[in-house]
Amino acid sequence: MKLALAVQRYGLEINGGAELHCRWIAEHLTKYAETEVLTTKALDYITWKNYFPQDDEVVNGVRVRRFPVTRPRRPEKFGRLQNQLLDGDHSEADELRWLDEEGPLAPALIDYIREHEAAYDYFIFFSYRYYHSYWGVRAVPQKSLLVPTAERDPVIGLRIFRDLFRRPRALIYNSVEERRMINAVSQNEGVFGDVVGVGTEVPAAPSAEAFRATRGVISPYVIYIGRVDENKGCHKLFEYFIRYKKESPSDLKLVLAGSTVMRIPAHPDILYLGFMREDDKFNALAGAELLVMPSFFESLSMVTLEAWALGKPVLANALCDVLKGQCLRSNGGLFYENYHEFREGLSLLLSSPRLRQALGENGRRYFEDNYRWEVIEKKYLAVFDRLEKEKKKGT
Amino acid sequence: MSHQSENGPGKKPPIEIDYEHLDVARIMDEIKARAAAESVRQPPAAGSAPDSARVPDFDLQSGDGQPPVRGRFRRLLLRIMSPLRPAIKLLILPVYDEFQQTVRILHNTNLRLDHLYEVTDRDRHNAVVRLDREREYTKLLHSLSHNLVVELTKLKIENDTLKARLEIMDRDFDFLRKRERALEREVLE
Repeated sequence: MKLALAVQRYGLEINGGAELHCRWIAEHLTKYAETEVLTTKALDYITWKNYFPQDDEVVNGVRVRRFPVTRPRRPEKFGRLQNQLLDGDHSEADELRWLDEEGPLAPALIDYIREHEAAYDYFIFFSYRYYHSYWGVRAVPQKSLLVPTAERDPVIGLRIFRDLFRRPRALIYNSVEERRMINAVSQNEGVFGDVVGVGTEVPAAPSAEAFRATRGVISPYVIYIGRVDENKGCHKLFEYFIRYKKESPSDLKLVLAGSTVMRIPAHPDILYLGFMREDDKFNALAGAELLVMPSFFESLSMVTLEAWALGKPVLANALCDVLKGQCLRSNGGLFYENYHEFREGLSLLLSSPRLRQALGENGRRYFEDNYRWEVIEKKYLAVFDRLEKEKKKGT
Repeated sequence: MSHQSENGPGKKPPIEIDYEHLDVARIMDEIKARAAAESVRQPPAAGSAPDSARVPDFDLQSGDGQPPVRGRFRRLLLRIMSPLRPAIKLLILPVYDEFQQTVRILHNTNLRLDHLYEVTDRDRHNAVVRLDREREYTKLLHSLSHNLVVELTKLKIENDTLKARLEIMDRDFDFLRKRERALEREVLE
């Protein structure tokens, strides 16, 4: 079997979101099929400027074909267009103009897919909202699988996407909430779909002591891992944490790990440790009392799964239905909608090591049952198997 | 087996947790109930603090303006000069009184300023608390409007689909009516 995975950006430099999801799936599927990645030469997701010079390279054993972005995104124009689109009546042509402006505009990628349809058995498109997925699925609908990685974002209601969700042979969802949302938006129940998600690599023995020794964190701490960004709900987390510390003085710290795009309040109990290597990240997670996830929009929170893989409980934002759903399904974490619930949840978790342990254990079991790589690989293979059977029946 | 969490925040009764059959939904129900009760119990907006407290009135005539006697030498000097005291007093009395009065005024002004600083600090703190609360409401409203946009978009899509279905059914109905008539005609002929 030969597979092509299409994604907006690809490379070891990109360590999050649908791009990392795609890289991990590609690397794991190489065991079962000849796997290639079709992507652009962009690295920066704001402008999509061409960055990678090579047309063709091998990344961690996966062949990557890169296609140039013909026009970088003009963020101001794009923002204006999106506001117009969401604010009032518009036509399908307006939506397509928005899609072009959003990019990454790489028509050569779509031409390649169209011209080489016969060379591949299936094309797996990651991220529904970008140019490559919309036009790629239209170019090869009978061979396409879509991994939407959709968040509760207003653009999902655009007409062009209703059509997109009905076209592919199969959809691979990240969560039941995502599936429910897409079904509601596009009435695509007729298209085969399965909730699969993505696995994660967890080191065998992460060391909390190593983290404490290298970073000098002695006090107990809760941890946030990810981009420190208002879009990720970090402003709320800071506000709640500072208020919590004011009301319940203790030596508890909030450790932040990840790159930042916002100002972090200068508070003695908020420790920003910058971007961490994978082993450092797991060491930090191992030493934490719990992981806090303040994000409002998630399609699937990989870091939440990583916390559960290490047996750590989670305190998540309940306004993100995916996080709330995962906490309820796994029985592995608590959630909050406002400050009062944040305070009660955090106090309860911090005061009860037994509860933390029990939630962490539940989370670990949930991870083992649903997100181990063997499970994810099997689910992908089951989807291919089903499509192959349908194909045979059809012929 | 049912247990209680080791320690709850403040003096509230601990949440009962069944560790054998841990149920996050149930724990969350209890947390929500406590959080709701807590938000109701919270005092009204910070503006209600007695921030209009009166500035105390100071008596400009009061105060023990007598300078302390400094040491034995001073006392001795004063004793030696005592015969000259009436003359000295006569010469410097107006200046001394004025000086004393000025010191008293400055002292009282400082007291007033200290008090005003205290009141301003309290006002500022109250204003910040009020602002935080309003910001919270604004954010909630923002989140609400965002969700409304999503829901409206979905409803619009559903509306479009239903309209299309209705149109198709209309057409089917027309077709069936025509077919019925044609069949009737054929049967009658």
